[in-house]
Amino acid sequence: MCSACGYPAAPGHWTEAGAATPHDRLRDRFRRVQVVQKALNGSGIKVHDGGIIPGIQVILAGGAQTIVPDLEALWGEIEKRSGRIFDPLAL
Amino acid sequence: MTSTPEGRLRLTLLGGFLGSGKTTWLRHQLHEKAFGRVHVIVNEAADVPVDDALLGAADHMTLLAGGCVCCKGQQDLLNVLLDLCDDRSGLADRSTRIENIVLETSGLADPAAILQLIQSHPILVRQIVVTQTIVIVDAVHAKAQLQQEALGRRQIEAADRLILTKTDSATAQDTAQLCASLEAIAPGAIQTAAIFGSPLVLQESAPDVLPFAMPDLSDSDMHPIIACQLNLGDKPDWTAFTVWLSALLHARGDQIVRVKGVVGTPAGRLLLQTVRRTVQSPEILPDTVTPVESDNTIAVIGRGFTQDQLSDSLAHFSA
Repeated sequence: MCSACGYPAAPGHWTEAGAATPHDRLRDRFRRVQVVQKALNGSGIKVHDGGIIPGIQVILAGGAQTIVPDLEALWGEIEKRSGRIFDPLAL
Repeated sequence: MTSTPEGRLRLTLLGGFLGSGKTTWLRHQLHEKAFGRVHVIVNEAADVPVDDALLGAADHMTLLAGGCVCCKGQQDLLNVLLDLCDDRSGLADRSTRIENIVLETSGLADPAAILQLIQSHPILVRQIVVTQTIVIVDAVHAKAQLQQEALGRRQIEAADRLILTKTDSATAQDTAQLCASLEAIAPGAIQTAAIFGSPLVLQESAPDVLPFAMPDLSDSDMHPIIACQLNLGDKPDWTAFTVWLSALLHARGDQIVRVKGVVGTPAGRLLLQTVRRTVQSPEILPDTVTPVESDNTIAVIGRGFTQDQLSDSLAHFSA
């Protein structure tokens, strides 16, 4: 368990299954937020993953911050905060 | 069939509408020892069980009566599965460990709900992998069920494999029409037939047989179900793909009935399977010497989108 946020360092979300080594895993984390950020461009929402704290940090337009454990939770959080569903087919 | 490379226990979901012949089919498979060292879990919605008496051939069996495990009896199912995992890891001798679990659902169960239940359990997800969902289809009554029952359709949608029973009591024309209709509901599922459990060759249906009319049972099902193929290329970008897929399932999980395929990653060949919003934790498949042609092609089955929309949207993420 991470002492900073309380999320258990658990089995890993299905989206994180593609990495075999710790190096891959870290690279994937950086790349993941890059891809998400690109998709969210123009929404005013920023995502950040420094590679140390588990999870993805979400920074909202007003400056409020929250942290989510995985991508599934991220999309739910974005829906809750922005009031609309992020639909990749509607980009 | 032994347990998976990473040591998880295989679970086969056996579903089908009330009276479709699930137990009859299973009894024959157990007699033929098709599942190896197997533990059978039988669920019956009614309080008075009959199926356990029919399944005398199973070495190990648990009966869950008086509540369907996809809703009311969830906790009972979880307890049984946890006990099985416990017992299995307690056996030092691998040759006596069970290899498979077959879960025969009640006729009122939605297989997708059970999949979701196992997938969302923090312990079971690491111990059990649901390898296939077999749905038994009663060739005589399926037409009425599919036309009237939303549950009947949901069961078919969740299937990897459809087994038609009682085809000997239905006309060849009706069977052909049923096959075409099943194809329309579950384009990716393999269709076979069985009489009292023995496999039967299903006649190749003529391409001009049309599915029967299926009235709309809910407001959201306006579009027909289509099956799309997404090619991820030789070196798939797993990260971009999963960002895209997780967003897609979040936004359109009701419409995306099934996603299935093998993706090559640094961690190995990952078998990815989803049923609506539920994603199976990917199973690592053994590496092959020669590349498998179907690898890195993902089947997406659902409604409310087009092939081009999917490919364009994915390209936007991978670029």
